[in-house]
Amino acid sequence: MPGPTRRGRFGRCTAAAASLSAFAVVLSACVPLQELGPAPQREDVTEVEFGDRTPVEGGDLVMALSSEPDRLDPTTSNSLYTRYVMQTMCEKLYDIDASGGIVPMLAADMPRVSDDGLTVDIPLRTDDVRFADGTEFDADAVVTTLHRNLTDENSARVSDLGPVEEIESLDEDTVRVTFETPFAPFTAALADRAGMIMSPAALEEKGDDFGDAPVCVGAFRFAERIPQTSITVTADPNYYARDEVHLDSIEYRIMTDANIRAANIRSGDVQVADMISPQDIDALQQESGIGTLAVESLGYQGLTINLDRLPEGAEPTPLSEDPRIRRALSMAVDREALVNTVFNGWYLPACSGIAGSSPFASDASRGCPEYDPEGAEELLREAGAPVPYPIDVQVTNSQDSLRFAQALQAQLSEAGFALSIRPVEYTALLDVQDRGDFETVQLGWSGRVDPHGNLHNFHYTGGNNNYTGLDDAEVNRRLDRAASLTEVADRAAAYGEAIDRLHEINPVIYLYRQRNLTAYSEDIAGVQVYADGVVHLSRAGFVEEES
Amino acid sequence: MLRFTAVKVGESLITFVLAAIVIFFGVRSLPGDPALAMAGEEATPERIAQIRADLGLDEPVVVQFWKFLTSIVTGDLGESTRTGQQVTEMIATTLPVTLWLAAYAILVAVVAGVLLGMLAERFRGRLPEALANFAALVGLSVPNFWLGLLAILLLAVTLGWFPASGYVDVLSDPLRGLYYLTLPAVILGTSLAAVITRQTRASMIETMGTDYVRTARAKGLSRPRILFRYGLRNSLIVLVTIIGLQLGGLISGAVVTERIFALPGLGKLTLDAVFARDYPVIQAVVLVITLAYILINLAVDLLYSVINPTIRTGAAKA
Amino acid sequence: MTAPPPSTDSTATTAPGEAGANTGAGPGAGPGAGRPAADRSGADGPVKRRRGALAVLVRTPLGLLGTVLAALAVLTALFAPWLAPHGFSQTDFAHPYQVPGTVGHPLGTDDLGRDSLSRLLFGVRASMQVGLLAVGLAVVVGVPLGLLAGYWRACDRVISRLTDVALAFPFLILAVGFVAIAGASLTSAAAALGIAQIPTMVRVVRGETLRLRDADFIRAARAMDASAWRILFAHILPNAVSAIIVQATVILPTAVIGESMLSFLGLGIQPPNPSLGIMLSDAQQYIYRAPAAAVFPGLAILLICLAFNLFGDALRDALDPGSALARTPRQERRALRQKRRQERARGTMMERDQNGDALAETGAAAKENDR
Repeated sequence: MPGPTRRGRFGRCTAAAASLSAFAVVLSACVPLQELGPAPQREDVTEVEFGDRTPVEGGDLVMALSSEPDRLDPTTSNSLYTRYVMQTMCEKLYDIDASGGIVPMLAADMPRVSDDGLTVDIPLRTDDVRFADGTEFDADAVVTTLHRNLTDENSARVSDLGPVEEIESLDEDTVRVTFETPFAPFTAALADRAGMIMSPAALEEKGDDFGDAPVCVGAFRFAERIPQTSITVTADPNYYARDEVHLDSIEYRIMTDANIRAANIRSGDVQVADMISPQDIDALQQESGIGTLAVESLGYQGLTINLDRLPEGAEPTPLSEDPRIRRALSMAVDREALVNTVFNGWYLPACSGIAGSSPFASDASRGCPEYDPEGAEELLREAGAPVPYPIDVQVTNSQDSLRFAQALQAQLSEAGFALSIRPVEYTALLDVQDRGDFETVQLGWSGRVDPHGNLHNFHYTGGNNNYTGLDDAEVNRRLDRAASLTEVADRAAAYGEAIDRLHEINPVIYLYRQRNLTAYSEDIAGVQVYADGVVHLSRAGFVEEES
Repeated sequence: MLRFTAVKVGESLITFVLAAIVIFFGVRSLPGDPALAMAGEEATPERIAQIRADLGLDEPVVVQFWKFLTSIVTGDLGESTRTGQQVTEMIATTLPVTLWLAAYAILVAVVAGVLLGMLAERFRGRLPEALANFAALVGLSVPNFWLGLLAILLLAVTLGWFPASGYVDVLSDPLRGLYYLTLPAVILGTSLAAVITRQTRASMIETMGTDYVRTARAKGLSRPRILFRYGLRNSLIVLVTIIGLQLGGLISGAVVTERIFALPGLGKLTLDAVFARDYPVIQAVVLVITLAYILINLAVDLLYSVINPTIRTGAAKA
Repeated sequence: MTAPPPSTDSTATTAPGEAGANTGAGPGAGPGAGRPAADRSGADGPVKRRRGALAVLVRTPLGLLGTVLAALAVLTALFAPWLAPHGFSQTDFAHPYQVPGTVGHPLGTDDLGRDSLSRLLFGVRASMQVGLLAVGLAVVVGVPLGLLAGYWRACDRVISRLTDVALAFPFLILAVGFVAIAGASLTSAAAALGIAQIPTMVRVVRGETLRLRDADFIRAARAMDASAWRILFAHILPNAVSAIIVQATVILPTAVIGESMLSFLGLGIQPPNPSLGIMLSDAQQYIYRAPAAAVFPGLAILLICLAFNLFGDALRDALDPGSALARTPRQERRALRQKRRQERARGTMMERDQNGDALAETGAAAKENDR
């Protein structure tokens, strides 16, 4: 085997390798350290308009979707991604706009609430609105849908709708909902899945299988679903604003890897992609033919601390017993630096469950404890805790959360905390969180328009998402009060008070808030992304090429 | 022959039943509750209890296992807990994609592997052989997902020669269908091609050195004729063996390839189902893959016994 | 990953070297799978041929390259803590994304400002650890099972059925499931990959045992009333060692690639510890911003696997000087003639049809272990 040829080749190989490494050595003397500058100011961009460009009538759009929707049934759906697809198929009574406010969609106007807050009248659109199967949209259809949401045994909407007593149609275009106690978050619920109105004829026919081929009022109607792969919708000729719809069809193609989505938008195989990685968005922006949208999320990411839900036999730790240690932990986090480094400044620091852009935000909800590693370590010693204080954190095994956890680990070590990171697969982590089998968990919340959905469940005694086991009478009282008020300003102040109290106890260390980053190809327009993160495509279209 | 066949079929059946048992209990030993996974952010204790009841998860394990066994026999594999679709239907739509992909990958691998292998044999001890050997080694040593991502970056994004994702049904539009599958198939076929290259080279060297080939050459047969008459024919058997054995691995490999290229195949279905704890889907898909592997190997076993009777007698003795 | 991992089947059905007088038999999947099965038809006596194996190992340039690279990988793994200029988890938020060749950071830094060279060195260490642990597991569990299966028919029934079942599962799903159960860590990644390799090892050892069971020197031992256990461990095992080592060089790269695959799916080693797979999948996230970061770990994986594949090839040639592929064509033909003469003399030659077609031979080799 050792022929002269081989040996020659091998020799050349060695020579090449040697010269390469020499090159590397030379290089290493050349390049100085590049300092990372301060993060650029990032702005929210919520939509791309047609402007003076002419939309092309027709065309098939493909969107890369980061997660698989579950059943396409507004009543039973549990996945937030279902809303992305439903947006083009199932219009809601209300919608949210660019500033996070609530606007009418299938309703004609905002609901009329009685003085005692117990009766809510919803006026409906009076023009010729029809479902995709031709059935007429009227008050009875709305009542049927809301009844289903309330009474269906598989409904996931019951708690969204609150203490509803009765739903009835006053006339063809008005629905009246009566409550046992006033419930301000109701309108916001109608701007989400609870407000998607389903065709009564289709419900009659399909029953529990409605989600196999949903029929609603929408710019597009359901065409096909290939499991784990794609969902296709086609333009609905029955749609009341048919002339505003440009596309023939939209295919939602499921791609779970962020870099695969980015590659597909680069190659032109898809025209829109959601959940772009903050690592990638700057590069995407610079590419010709690709635009980006960014909007602050309503949710948050935080460190949930197990206060009182320990599994049997487990000893409570100083962290769960002593609020000073939790306060020290919160002080030890330089949120600004973290989001700058890990997310290139695209994400925002968060210190409460209410987004900065929300109409319910207040000074209290925006306020963060000052970054003070020395102070934190001092507080830690004062509490008599061992330094470095070990904390076990379980995180999802996604790239972003692992990177963030490692940066957090490095930062906390400066303030006397030793974080050990345990990556857990998402489904298993939900289970861990549910069983209380954790010291701390880093998981996010996708966020709701109304702050009730972001605070109440998490901190109220016995709340569905009260994973910390917090049981604080003062927090309960303040949250109750905030939910019973009707004026936005009053509620904002009331939630601010609740947050003040939470900052004293720190059951959850709020860390950062995502921006929903969407990329689109510049040959399309009419795409919007608002605070709920849903990418609106019903008015999208290709633009005519400039000649 | 009959006895041999019966023994082989019996063995396969036992393997299948064992596999079914392992699948059922393996899936249930995964941490994480499918009801919780389904409920997601909307989880309330009542809702979770409701979902568990719907899925039959509140029944005793023995009852669940019995239902699973009967479902295999009746072919009604239940509904996906995640999307509510019929599992049989989901498999029916995804399986053809994986089969096309696998078939294409095998084709690519066989063509590339046999050519390289023959090249290596033809230029024994010279540069082409070294290159072919080296290429085969690299093919075996490179992580496939990395290769896939690099290929997307280079061939799809930068050069724009191939689509980065998407699938077109091969039967309804063969040309575009194959075009869309080309990049994934090449990536999936890489390591198989490497294995085939090495095997072809080895078997060709072996064959060309045998007495009968030298006799044939002495009789004046031209080299190409010998190559095709003896060399390739022998390699063919090796090929069939490799492919039969590799099909299981190929489907496993399809998991990542399909994920990278967003292909609607069985592999992607399986992986997503595992992450979502979609019990009915995981069970059914793994069962189908296992069954395919067992059947293929049964077929290969029987085929061999036809080709070479000594195996049969050997087996009968055992 | 089509490739390597599921691998195994390769040797799966055909244990290399089994089936007596055959070369080029073991159709295989994994890396090295395609390695021509060694010709050990003459290995009837307790092995004595290994003398000078090392010399043969480094005789060919590729063998030398493989040996050197493999040694380098082992040394890097051993001495990473002393070689690395920085700590692998030492972040520097002010200096992320440095390009290769930066002062103080020869390979640049990653997204958190950690030194890429240091992480690469520790990554090699972690990947080698995973590889060696997986090999260890496959050996510890696979070898005894293989010996039992090869020696006693009753055991064979059970064990072969179980390995069939194990081989029928898609490897990746198995590993993903296992890691989900055991939690993501170096040990569970290694365990998952090792478990996936056990069936292959069982088959290889079983094949060797079957082959050796009827060898003259074993018969002699049996005649002298040696206990079965003694025969297994004192006579058969030492003679099966070379096949086991060669199989180990197949398993190691398979496990290294498998680890990178698991990391790609987020199921690899626990951060902040680096592994080549984690570095690679991290780098994919910012590949447009710092493309070099995706190159080095990928190259390192490639080189490690290449090293052990080359090393394995050379090792096989060294351990079996009779193997056809270690020789030049002329030497080989001579050896072949010699072999045939021996075969004829012993009468163990396989049936071959009158036309001289070796058809059955090669195929049979692949299936012979089903006897």
